[in-house]
This record gives sequence, structure tokens and C-alpha cells, in this order.
Amino acid sequence: MTALTSPYLWYTTRGTGLVTLALLTVMVCLGVLVANRAGGTRVGRFELAQIHRAVSAITVAFLAIHVITTVADSFVATGPLSIVVPMTSPYRRVGVGLGALALDLLGTVWLSSLLQARLSYGAWRAIHWLGWLCYPSALVHALATGTDARHGVGLAVVVVSLASVAGAALWRITARPDRAAGRTALSPPSPPVPRRPERATEIEGRARG
Amino acid sequence: MAVRSRTDTFVLVVNPVQCDGYGHCAELAPELVHLDEWGYPILATAPTPLAARAVHESARLAVRHCPRRALRVERHPAAPASSRSGARTE
Repeated sequence: MTALTSPYLWYTTRGTGLVTLALLTVMVCLGVLVANRAGGTRVGRFELAQIHRAVSAITVAFLAIHVITTVADSFVATGPLSIVVPMTSPYRRVGVGLGALALDLLGTVWLSSLLQARLSYGAWRAIHWLGWLCYPSALVHALATGTDARHGVGLAVVVVSLASVAGAALWRITARPDRAAGRTALSPPSPPVPRRPERATEIEGRARG
Repeated sequence: MAVRSRTDTFVLVVNPVQCDGYGHCAELAPELVHLDEWGYPILATAPTPLAARAVHESARLAVRHCPRRALRVERHPAAPASSRSGARTE
């Protein structure tokens, strides 16, 4: 690994970096679609959740290639440590540091989702919110370190990505799903939940009918 | 694996506090779940025989893919003769 300086490693790093940013954008937007209860007619909500999962897995794969080729390329002295620990890279300390931060955050979110069955719902959800920190650090990393992000296709990807995620975030905040105040799901047979009686009987009637 | 009697039944049950109306269950187990006007599930209250494998599989999928993990399948041993015959007619 000491003397690997093929230009193809560098090209792969650049290419997968850009693709990872694009995938990260799609991943965040799909996550917002799921959280905002989009779908249900032409595309199922459940299907959107599955696509979110699949895109996340592909994102992790591309990020892995991006990181491995960066470490393998010895032209810049970005070693295995500075990939994971922010602010330890001798090359573009802040830019690479933000990339390391984004990697750590995405890795944490990914692991928590893999181990979802072993985590409490609250813990999983709290960790999942870290995704909102992961995206901006990845974007700034792309602008600060990426040599392609300031012109041409790279710039277009960055602009479209930022606009999409900003829009998704805004929609996530403003368009919370309609809820009757204080209502939760009813489960008529068990466990017994005290509810307004007329509502409960109506639902029981509907379920039987 | 426990012996599964053809006459045993199951009921899909939701934890109403945990449920947040994602509605994935209604897509995965349409045989058992309908959504009310706020998007919360209304579950079939009548026990379903385990012999209805497709329905049982739907219920298990709904449990596994509930984003809030609010669902569970409750198994019941074979009910008394009267309701058992009722469950068989499906």
C-alpha cells in the first residue's frame, strides 16, 4: 500500500465521491418520503421504505470504495486513521475531517439499522436523526475537498443535491401528517384502552362488517 | 419447532401508543388491516386460523416491517368447538 499512485485510484475516488453524494441525496429524500407517509396509491409506502433501505445499502457500498481508494492512493497522505478520525489528515485537514465525520455518522446510522431488532425504538430513532448531520458534513466535504465540485457536472450534482435535500427538509418540517389531536391507533380486543365509547363501538362494528 | 395445530388461531394486535400511523401494515396485510380516516390501523378482531398460511405470512410481514414496531402476532390455542367452526368458515 506504500507506493500505490495509480491515477485510476484517484479517478475512482473522485467518481465514487460524486456518486456517493448523489446517492446520499436520494437516500435522504426517500427517508423523508417514508417519514411523511408519502405513497400509498401508485407506489406503496412500504415499497418506498424498502427502496430507502436499498439505496442506503448502495450508498454505503460506494462510500466504501471511495474511502478504500483514498487510503490506497499514496499520492495524498490520507491514511486509515484520518479516514475515521476527523481533523487528523495532513491533506486538507478540515475537508477530509468533515468527510471522516460524515463516514462515522453514516456508519453509525447504518449499523443501528442493521441492529434495529436489538435496539429500542427510541435509541434507533435518535441515532437515525444523525443522518441530518451526516448529509451537510458530506456536502461541505465535497465542496472543500472535491476537486470536481466547483465546475461542470460536479457543480451540477452539488447544486441539485443541496436543493433537493433542502426542499425535503423543509417539507419534513412543514408537512407533518394530519392527526386528530391526541389520537392513537385503537386495538379493540386487547389491550383495553380507555376511549370514547361511541368511537370504539363504531370501529368494532366496522371490523366485524 | 412446536407442533402447529391446524385449528390454532392468531390475532394481529397493535400497540396503540407505539403506532404512529405509517400504514405499512395495511399494505402488507390487507386481509387483516384497514386504515381509518387518520391513517391508523383497524385490525380484524376475529381470530384467524393458522392454517390460513398466506394470511399468517402477511401478518408476520406486517409485524417485521412495521416502522414503529407496534405490531405483534398473538397465537391462541384451538378455541372451543363453537368458535372453531366459525373460524374455519373463511
